[in-house]
Amino acid sequence: MADDVAGKRPFSIKRQPGFGFIAACCFVMLYAPILILVAYSFNAGSSIAIWEGFSWRWYEAAWQNRQVIDASVTSLKIAVSAAAIASCVATMAALATTRTEPYRGMTAIYAAINQPLMVPEIVTAVALLIFFAIIKVNTGYQGLAYLIAAHSAFCIPFAYLPIRARLENMDLSLERAAADLYASPWQAFRYVTLPLMLPGIMAGAMLAFVISLDDVVITEFVKSGGQDTLPTYMLGQLRRIISPEINAISTVLLAISVAVVSVFFVLSRKGGKA
Amino acid sequence: MKCKLIASVAMSAMMIGLSASAALAEGQLNIFNWGNYTNPELIKKFEEQFKVKVTLTDYDSNDTALAKVRAGGHGYDIVVPSASFIPIWIGEGLLLETNPGGMENAKNLQDNWKSPEFDPGRKYTAPWQWGTTGVAVNTGAYSGDVNTSAIFMDPPKELEGKVNVVPEMADIMGLAIAYVGGEPCTADKTVLKKVRDALVAAKPKWLSMDYGTTEKLSSGDWVASVNWNGSTFRARLKNDKVVYGYPKEGFPVWADQVVVLKDAKNVDNAKAFQNFIMEPENAALISAFARYANAIKGSAEFMPADMKDAPELNIPAELVSAGYVSKTCSPEATELYTAIWTELTK
Repeated sequence: MADDVAGKRPFSIKRQPGFGFIAACCFVMLYAPILILVAYSFNAGSSIAIWEGFSWRWYEAAWQNRQVIDASVTSLKIAVSAAAIASCVATMAALATTRTEPYRGMTAIYAAINQPLMVPEIVTAVALLIFFAIIKVNTGYQGLAYLIAAHSAFCIPFAYLPIRARLENMDLSLERAAADLYASPWQAFRYVTLPLMLPGIMAGAMLAFVISLDDVVITEFVKSGGQDTLPTYMLGQLRRIISPEINAISTVLLAISVAVVSVFFVLSRKGGKA
Repeated sequence: MKCKLIASVAMSAMMIGLSASAALAEGQLNIFNWGNYTNPELIKKFEEQFKVKVTLTDYDSNDTALAKVRAGGHGYDIVVPSASFIPIWIGEGLLLETNPGGMENAKNLQDNWKSPEFDPGRKYTAPWQWGTTGVAVNTGAYSGDVNTSAIFMDPPKELEGKVNVVPEMADIMGLAIAYVGGEPCTADKTVLKKVRDALVAAKPKWLSMDYGTTEKLSSGDWVASVNWNGSTFRARLKNDKVVYGYPKEGFPVWADQVVVLKDAKNVDNAKAFQNFIMEPENAALISAFARYANAIKGSAEFMPADMKDAPELNIPAELVSAGYVSKTCSPEATELYTAIWTELTK
């Protein structure tokens, strides 16, 4: 049998002709535009297509632009709040869909939790615009809560999926042992389940954070006066004269996203080993 | 515990939002304008002069602005839609009749902007900025008359095979209809047949249909293109051979207008803003930032030196009447234009 395996190598997509070439093409297509964008953020001239030498001037310009700073602060407030709320809700949802006997309607609940992944974003955006407008007219309240609520809602599935995956891979015997040793359900959760699922929750929160930070469509429709986030601010800029300032802001945003996703990756890998 | 901590963070974040909105009550003005379009110095000056706090929020298209205001509960006082959308805003009863045409600074309006077709007598609108679509030519390649759409509709010998046409249906159709002598937004099929034949015949003499005109014209890669005045102005600052032509057969003009919303909370401040921007010095601030022309007499002397006499921002007197303010065409007309456009670009 061992001879069999050695003589006939099993099918592997990696050994198909042209695999390397196609893979290289895909990577170039995916990353070349981003690399060009990053490169031009260091342009000394004011064009995004003609290179005129290296400089930090666009980073300085962005740093001194009050609108950019305001938009960044708004973005962070929303992303932190939405990630916190979404991961709390997602933790509860994940516990309710994994730590119980399967019950009728569980699939429906699963679908409902993940609804933001399936409904086109523009539909949610228009629905929220109309719904929040009614509340705004009747209460007169214009604050950030609308954006935080909207972001929390669409971030839930992104937080839910890693947390649920973590819960499904966890060894149930530890929780059973806790219960056998007369831990109350709360104690078992607090001292056994929660510490074990923490990497999943952190990973979920980070994913939610990045998703909230990136959102344009829903934010554009829900925002009230003075609530531009970084992406909606950038979108507004693009309609006019484009300067490398946009590249500089994009590069910073990209760096934050890459950093957070890297932490997410490390956390979920650590979680897998434990 | 974790959740408790997180929840308290979320609560405090919401409180920040709440307190920010509580401050909206007095001495406020909420402006909803295109992104990258409002001079921060203008806002600062208005804040100091009228002792109000201005918030500025961006939108990226006429449609987004309209959708948000239609839904209600938006909290904005002032919006800056394009002239082509003004009839919709007025027709739907979204605007407050503030009568900018009767305000103190209305005396500064340039004659051709005193009573525009989209708002006769300026019952609702104060002018923000305007621009035109025309042609840009490099005088090194062609030295004849540039004030004509023939540059791309029937290119002179020197420019054959060298003309770029921007892929903007509304602009190109507008210029082409005017070139064959039709009315803007016409749905007359005999006129449109002429337009189609002229465009299809001209296309083989074009180099490309592409954007990026500012860069390509200043680098000299392109020697002729349909182009907007603001873009040509920036190209000319880098390459003084570039000139802008206003087609005498007719050319579209866009013009953004400052209006006050019917459900505005800060009506007095909004009216004061409309009057404020018709002051020459303030209109000059608007233009200095976004680099487009305004409609205010005497603002030129407050503008940066490179803008004062820029031919791209000052239409020659004899060609002013060739310009027409773009409208939103009827669905029937748009359907016919799209058919022609599809045939042209296939």
